[in-house]
Amino acid sequence: MASMVANGNRDGQSLVLKGVDPETCMIVFKNHWAQVVKILEKHDPLGAQRFGNIPGDEANAVQNYVEHMLFLLMEEESGQAGAMGPILEFVVMENVMERLFVWSLRREFTDDMKLEQLKMYEMLVGQAQQPLLHHKPILRPLMMLLSSCSSTAMPEVEAELVLLLHQLCCILAKDLSILELFFHTSEDQGSTNFLIFSLLIPFIHREGSVGQQARDALLLIMSLSAENQRVAKHIAENTYFCPVLATGLSGLYSSLPTKLDIPSEEWHCLHREDWLTVPSLVQFLNSLEFCNAVTQVAHPDIRDQLLSYIYNGFLVPVLAPALHKLTLEEVMTTTAYLDLFLRSVSEPALLQTFLSFILLHRHESVHILDTLISRINTPFQLGTVSLALFRTLIGLYCEDVMLQLVLRYLIPCNHIMLSQRRVVRERDCYSISAARILALTPSCCSPDRSPPPLRQLDSILFSKGADTPHKLSSTEETNLLSDDGSGNSCTIGSEIYLDVSYLHYLYDARRSISSCTRACQVWSALYDGEDPPPDRYEPGVLEESGLKFRQTALRKVPPSLALPPRPSVPRPAPLPTVGQLELEWDDSYDVCSVQVDTTPVENKPAPFPPAELPKHIQDMRRTATMLVKGSYIEENEFQDDVMVYNLVAKKDTTDADRMELNPGLLQSNENHPSPAEAPVQHALSLKLPPSVVADDGSNGLDSPKTKKQVDCNAIVQNAAAASAERSDDLLAQYEELLRTLDSEAGKKQVKGDGEAKKPVTPRQEEDEEDMDFTCFSAETPEAEKVSAPFGSVHKLRKSGSASRIQSVPFTGPFVSVLLSRLENMLSNSLHVNLLLTGILAQLAAYPQPLLRSFLLNTNLVFQPTVRSLYQVLATVKNQIDEQAARRKELPELITAAQHWLLARETLFMENGDYAFLFFYFSSGSSSPFDGARILKNSPPPKPKAISLDRTEVFATVLFTEFLKELAAIAQEHSILSYIPMEE
Amino acid sequence: SRPLVDNEEQSGHGEQRASPSRLPFGKKQLPPIPKTVAPITKPMSTGPPVQSTNGTHASYGPFYLEYSLLAEFTLVIKQKLPGIYVQPSYKSALMWFGVIFIRHGLYQDGVFKFTVYIPDNYPDGDCPKLVFDIPVFHPLVDPVTGELDVRRAFAKWRRNHNHIWQVLMYARTVFYKINTTDPLNPEAAVLYEKDVQLFKSKVVDSVKLCNSHLFDQPKIDDPYAISFSPWNPAVHEEAKERMFAFKRRPEDHHKGTQVSGLSWVKPGSTQPFSKDDNPPQS
Repeated sequence: MASMVANGNRDGQSLVLKGVDPETCMIVFKNHWAQVVKILEKHDPLGAQRFGNIPGDEANAVQNYVEHMLFLLMEEESGQAGAMGPILEFVVMENVMERLFVWSLRREFTDDMKLEQLKMYEMLVGQAQQPLLHHKPILRPLMMLLSSCSSTAMPEVEAELVLLLHQLCCILAKDLSILELFFHTSEDQGSTNFLIFSLLIPFIHREGSVGQQARDALLLIMSLSAENQRVAKHIAENTYFCPVLATGLSGLYSSLPTKLDIPSEEWHCLHREDWLTVPSLVQFLNSLEFCNAVTQVAHPDIRDQLLSYIYNGFLVPVLAPALHKLTLEEVMTTTAYLDLFLRSVSEPALLQTFLSFILLHRHESVHILDTLISRINTPFQLGTVSLALFRTLIGLYCEDVMLQLVLRYLIPCNHIMLSQRRVVRERDCYSISAARILALTPSCCSPDRSPPPLRQLDSILFSKGADTPHKLSSTEETNLLSDDGSGNSCTIGSEIYLDVSYLHYLYDARRSISSCTRACQVWSALYDGEDPPPDRYEPGVLEESGLKFRQTALRKVPPSLALPPRPSVPRPAPLPTVGQLELEWDDSYDVCSVQVDTTPVENKPAPFPPAELPKHIQDMRRTATMLVKGSYIEENEFQDDVMVYNLVAKKDTTDADRMELNPGLLQSNENHPSPAEAPVQHALSLKLPPSVVADDGSNGLDSPKTKKQVDCNAIVQNAAAASAERSDDLLAQYEELLRTLDSEAGKKQVKGDGEAKKPVTPRQEEDEEDMDFTCFSAETPEAEKVSAPFGSVHKLRKSGSASRIQSVPFTGPFVSVLLSRLENMLSNSLHVNLLLTGILAQLAAYPQPLLRSFLLNTNLVFQPTVRSLYQVLATVKNQIDEQAARRKELPELITAAQHWLLARETLFMENGDYAFLFFYFSSGSSSPFDGARILKNSPPPKPKAISLDRTEVFATVLFTEFLKELAAIAQEHSILSYIPMEE
Repeated sequence: SRPLVDNEEQSGHGEQRASPSRLPFGKKQLPPIPKTVAPITKPMSTGPPVQSTNGTHASYGPFYLEYSLLAEFTLVIKQKLPGIYVQPSYKSALMWFGVIFIRHGLYQDGVFKFTVYIPDNYPDGDCPKLVFDIPVFHPLVDPVTGELDVRRAFAKWRRNHNHIWQVLMYARTVFYKINTTDPLNPEAAVLYEKDVQLFKSKVVDSVKLCNSHLFDQPKIDDPYAISFSPWNPAVHEEAKERMFAFKRRPEDHHKGTQVSGLSWVKPGSTQPFSKDDNPPQS
C-alpha cells in the first residue's frame, strides 16, 4: 500500500491535481472508496476469510485506490471558516482510515506493512492542507498504528516511526488543542500513556540521527510541559522518562573507556578533537546535552525529578565509585570525564546537581571535593588532570565552589592578625604590591638582559604632550611661562623604555577582573572581611541539602514505577573489575522505592561539620607543610597513592587487615597528602583509652563546639574497632614520626606546625584538649588517668586535628596544595606550571577583598603559620637565584627557552588562538578552555637549543612572566574594584 | 564641540573614558610614537620608593605612577563632590582639567575652570597645584597666575592620607568660607575685612568676567580639555537624554555580556547550596 507515497513521487501528482475542480476530486475520491469498500467487504471477518487469503491483485487494487485517495485528501483545502473540506468530511464520516488500518491488520501486518503505513501517515500529517488530527476517525487508527509499532525492531521502521513522532510533536507544539485529543485517544486505547511520548522514550539514548530526532521531539514535549501542567504531571508521575534518561547516563557511562590513550604528556583534558574520536563518549555527551536541554525547558516537576535521578542514579552510584577506582589511570580518566561533563553542562540547575555532588557528597565519608583536591598533589597525569578540573571549577564564577575551596577559610579572618582586618578592604593606591611582586623578578630574567626580539622593550610615551617641547621640571623655581601658560610640568618621563609585554598583561588583567566582577554580582555576599561577619561564621553542617528537594521529587513517583524501565532502555553493563561493591549502580537505581528509604542516610547531618572536617584536610595541611620542608618525593608519593587506592578499595575488609596495612602507610606519612589516610587516623584516635580526659568531664560540655567534638568522637568511635595492643605500636611509631618532624621544622626555621601553636595560649590548648575528649569522660571512671604515652598522643592528635582549624590559621587545602606545587615550580613540567599559574591568576582576578588581599596584598600581615603567595614566590625566586649563581650556562638556556615559548605563542596566534600575552599562559580572562586549547593544540616543534626536560629553565621564564601577570592584576584591582559598578 | 558639561565621570563611566584612551593598546599594538620626539629629555622619575632603587625594575615606575593617578581619579569619582567635575588630560595623567560650579554664597553662579597639576614624583612630592584659568578675585587666589593657595591646607603631602579629591574639595570650600590670613591676593583680603560691600561687588564683577569667558577656547590645547558651548539642542539634547536614561535603566549595563556567575548561597549563610529555592537560577 502507498508505494507511490513511499517512493515520494507525489510532486507529479500534485501538479496534476492543481486546478482541478474540488467537486471532481470528491467524485473521484468517492468512486475509489466504493471500489475499495467492495474488496474490503468481500473479505469481511464475518466471511471467515482470515489473512493470508487475500489475493494479491485485490491487495494491489486497494493500494492503488488508496494512494489516489490520499493525494486527494492531502491536496484538499479546508472549507469556509475552517470547516472540513468535503473529502475530509467523507473520510471522517465513513471512518475510512480506521477501516483501512483494520484491512492492513487483516493482511499480514509485517514490518514492511508498518513502514508503509507510517510513511502514509507521515505524509498525510505533514502535508495536508487542513488540520486532520482533530478528528478521531483519523487520530484513532494513527494511534493504533503507533502502538502496534512500539515493539518493532526493524531499523527502517524505527526511523520512520521516530520521524512521524517528531512530526506529531511539531504539530502538538503548535496546536495545544490536539494535546487533549492525544490523551483521550490513549484512554480509548485503554492506556493512560501519552503514547507519542512513551514511544519516544526508548530512543532517548539512541545514537545517530534517529536518536537526535527522538530527542528533538521529546524536547518539544518538554517545552510543552512547562506550560501545560497536565503534560508535566503525566510525564513526572506516569512515565519512565526521568529514570530512563538518568540511568541511561549510567549505562552509557559504563561503556566509556576506562583508560584513555594519552596523546602526549602535555595532555590534561578532553577536547573536542579528543572526544569526537570516541563514539561512546560522543553518545554520552549527546545524552548529557539532552539532559541539559530538558532541564532548561521542562516543567519544574520534571526537571527536579530528572535532577534527582541524575544525582541518585548516576552521580552517586556510578561516578563516585569511578572516581575512586583502583589505578591512577582509571581515576585520571574519570577525572577527565568529570571535567568534560562540567564543561558540557550549561544549564544552572544541572550544573548545580553536579556541583553539589562534588562539593557535598561523601564517598566513604570523604567529600569528593577533598579527594579531588588531594589529587592535585599526585604526580604524573592525575595531578595535571586534576589541576585542569579545578581550572574549570574556578572558572565557573560559582560562589558555592569558591566558598568551599577558599573563602570559608578566609571568612573568619584567622589567617591575618586581628589588627589587619581593616587592611583587607584597603586599596593599594600606589601599586606597592605590584612593585613588590615585580621586584621578585630574578636578575637572570631581567628585561635588560634579554636580546631583541625577546626584549620586548619599547619606548612608550606617557606624556603625549612632549611634542611641544618645553623645559621640564617639577620644581617651583622653573616657573617659566610655556605655551600652556602655566609652566607646570606634567610629564611622566617623556620617553621611557618599558617592558611592552606588561601592557598586554594589564589589558588582560582588566578584562579578567571585569568579567569576574560582573559575574560575581549574583553572589550573596561581598567577602570583604565584614560581610559575612568573621565572628558569625558558622562552620555549619555540610549535608547534602541539595538532596532534599530531590527526595520529594522522588516520592512523587508512584511505587509502581519504581521498577526497571522497559527493556529497550540501555542497561549499563556492569563496570569491569575493581570495586564491585561500589559499582552496584543498578541496584540502587532500579529499586527506587528502596532508594527513597535509604537516602535519608545520606541526608542526615554530616558527622563532621565542615570546618572540623578533618582528617584529610588536616592531612593536606600537613602535606603542605611537609612540602615546604622539602620532603616532597614524588616516587614515594606515588607509591602511597597506590596504597591509598588499595585501602579505599579494601575498605570493607576487616579492621585487622587495615591495621596491617597501616605501618607501611605510616612510614611514608610525612609526604603523603591523601585523604585516604583518614581511616588510619580514625583508628589512631580511637586507640586513645577513654580515660584520657576523665579529669575534666564537666568542662564546656554545653558549648556547641564541644558537642561537635562529641559527635565527631562518637563517629570515630564507631568507625574503628581494632585491637588495643596493636595500636600501641602504631601510636609509638606515629609519635616518633611527628617528633622528628617537629624538630626538623625547628631546624629549618620553616613556619610549620610547630609554630602554629604559638598563637594559642597554653590555657586554650588545655581547654581544647579537654573538649576533644569529653565524650570519653562520660563513660569512664576518673581512675583511669592519662598515662604518659597517651599524653603525647594528645599532642599528636592536636597537631593534626581538624578541630584546630578555628584556632590554628589555615587557608584551606586547596590553597595549600596550589602553593606547594607552585613552590616546586622548578621541577614541574612546563604544562603543569602553565595550569598552575593560570589557576592562581584566575583566583587573583576574583574581586572579593578577602581573596584579593590574601593573594595580592603584600602589606597584609599574616599569622605565622599562614603561607602567602608572596612568600612562596619569594622562595622560588631564591631557588632561581641560587641556581643562576651556580650555573653559568643559564642565561643562554633562558634565552633559548624564551625564544621557544615566543615561537609557540606565535603559532597559537596563527592558529587563531588569540592571546594577548607575551607568553600567554593564563586562562584567566578568556574562557577556561582557551588556555587548554593552546596547550593542547600544538606542541610546536621541540625546541632545539634546549630540552624540555630542563624544567627549571622554562619555569624560570614562566615565573618571570607570572610575576608580571600578578602585578598587572594587582594594579588593575587598585582601580577596577573601586569603581561602583552601578549607581 | 563637546557638550555643555561632560559629567560622565560622576556617573561611573568617566573612568573608562579616561584611562584606555591614554593607553590605547589593543592586542599587540602600541600607541604610535611620534617621530619628532627628542630622546630622553629628562631622567625618568622613580616610582614608589619601595623599589625605586632596584635598577632592574625601574622601567615599571611609570606604570605605578599611572595607576596611582588612576586610583586617585576613581577616588574622586567615588566622592561625588558637589558641583565639581574633573577630567584627566589626554596628554598626561599628571594634568587634570576641571570646572567648579558655585551654587550659593558670595560667589553664587560662578563657573570657574581650573587645571590641576600633579607633581611627577607623586605621591611623594608636594601637594598638587590648582590653577584657575582666570584668576578669580579671592584672597587665596593669586591675581596674576590664578593659582589657588592649596599648600596652606596640605602643608605636607602625605601619601595614603592625602588625596586629590581633598584638594578639589578644598577648592570648593574656599568659595563658601572666606579665609583672609596670609592672602595671595592682599587686596581681596583687605577689602573683605574692611569693606565687604566693595568686596562683594568685586566678586560679582569677577564672576561675570569668568562667566563671560566661559565659551572661550580651552586655555590648554588638549582633546580632553573641558570646553563650553552655548546650548545647542542638536548636539546637547541627545547627550542629556542619554545621561538621564542611564540612571533609569541600569540593567542595560549588563546586556550583551554572556558571562554570568552562579550562586546558591542564601544571603547571610556561609553554606553552599543553602538557598531555599532549589535551584534558584531558573
